[in-house]
Amino acid sequence: MAKGITGIANPYTKGNCRNMKTNFKPRITLFQCCNILSKDAFCKLEKKIDFDLDVVELPCSSLVKDVFLLRAFESGSDAVVVLVCPEGTCRYVEGNIRAKKRVQWVKNLLDEIGLDGKRLSLFNVAHSDKEAAVKIIENTLSDLSDLGPSPARSVRETEAVEEKKV
Amino acid sequence: MIVGNQKSLAEIKEIVAPYKNLLILGCGTCVKTCFAGGEDEVATLSSALRLGFKKDGKEILIQELTIERQCEDEFIQEAAENINSNDAVLSLACGAGVQAIAKRFKSVPVMPGLNTTFIGILEKQGLFTEECVGCGDCRLAQFGSVCPIARCSKKLLNGPCGGSKNGSCEVDAETDCAWQLIIDRLKALGQLNNLKAYVQPKDWRSSNAGGPRKLVREDHII
Repeated sequence: MAKGITGIANPYTKGNCRNMKTNFKPRITLFQCCNILSKDAFCKLEKKIDFDLDVVELPCSSLVKDVFLLRAFESGSDAVVVLVCPEGTCRYVEGNIRAKKRVQWVKNLLDEIGLDGKRLSLFNVAHSDKEAAVKIIENTLSDLSDLGPSPARSVRETEAVEEKKV
Repeated sequence: MIVGNQKSLAEIKEIVAPYKNLLILGCGTCVKTCFAGGEDEVATLSSALRLGFKKDGKEILIQELTIERQCEDEFIQEAAENINSNDAVLSLACGAGVQAIAKRFKSVPVMPGLNTTFIGILEKQGLFTEECVGCGDCRLAQFGSVCPIARCSKKLLNGPCGGSKNGSCEVDAETDCAWQLIIDRLKALGQLNNLKAYVQPKDWRSSNAGGPRKLVREDHII
């Protein structure tokens, strides 16, 4: 299996096309505090790996509301990742702690819905630590190869992917 | 304010399952403050329901609306068009709000999305505590403004039970002993003598034990 740019085996590497096991192109929505990375930090990864990444930059991670996370899944995401500053370094004192609690709440809600809370995750990333952020996305892609597509992806969307494949 | 807690998603899904066009109606006053039925909770619940039904291969069209108060006609009127254009309403108001909507729209099923729990206050961010049971005969002046009915686990009116430890209730160590609070406050106010007067057993007819209550203000009725 091809290696991702940080050396992790990645099932979605271009040329390998899509995950052979589940045959779908993963879609990840990333909410990140603007104090961590610039929006284009994942350009190289997107060129190398066949997946969709929607990056939503926030002035502070605490602005991630429950509904934003759920709507990311509604719009077809297979996983949602939230990147927050390390604890004790939030410019707004406790924004990252609020985000962490909110993400935990929505993870429970996803379990209740039956979508699997594992599809949502939060990580503390230091300012400008691009390598750690890229590794997180690679790990998420790796997790998605086991989890498969979100069960809430619309039938129409799945059919469109299948048609394209044919 | 009235404090409520949202029902579990599984229970709500079961309640709304028969309907294809659903209005989720929020209430922007009490239940908004306790994060149970305001605009944000309407949006989150709608999204969760859509995801849940989509996962099960079912379709549901959800309309979202939050009005200032579901217990007053002035605001209910704002929702009339939305209520009439849907199969059913899931109200995120307290029990009074749910019934106020149901009374005014006789042909539309109106269902509760919350469990109405108590009359309370926001003690600190994220913590709501019960302070009043609405007994209809307030005696707070006698007890230094700490209600032994709402806040003492045993509802004792003539002094503490003797089971509290370090100011905590023996029924629940996380709850302050109401009688400790009463005595401390009366001491601070120099009104400890209040406790010398025997308090008669409470007449509960002024509470809901006396049947549904009404408040009539003739001066406001035309």
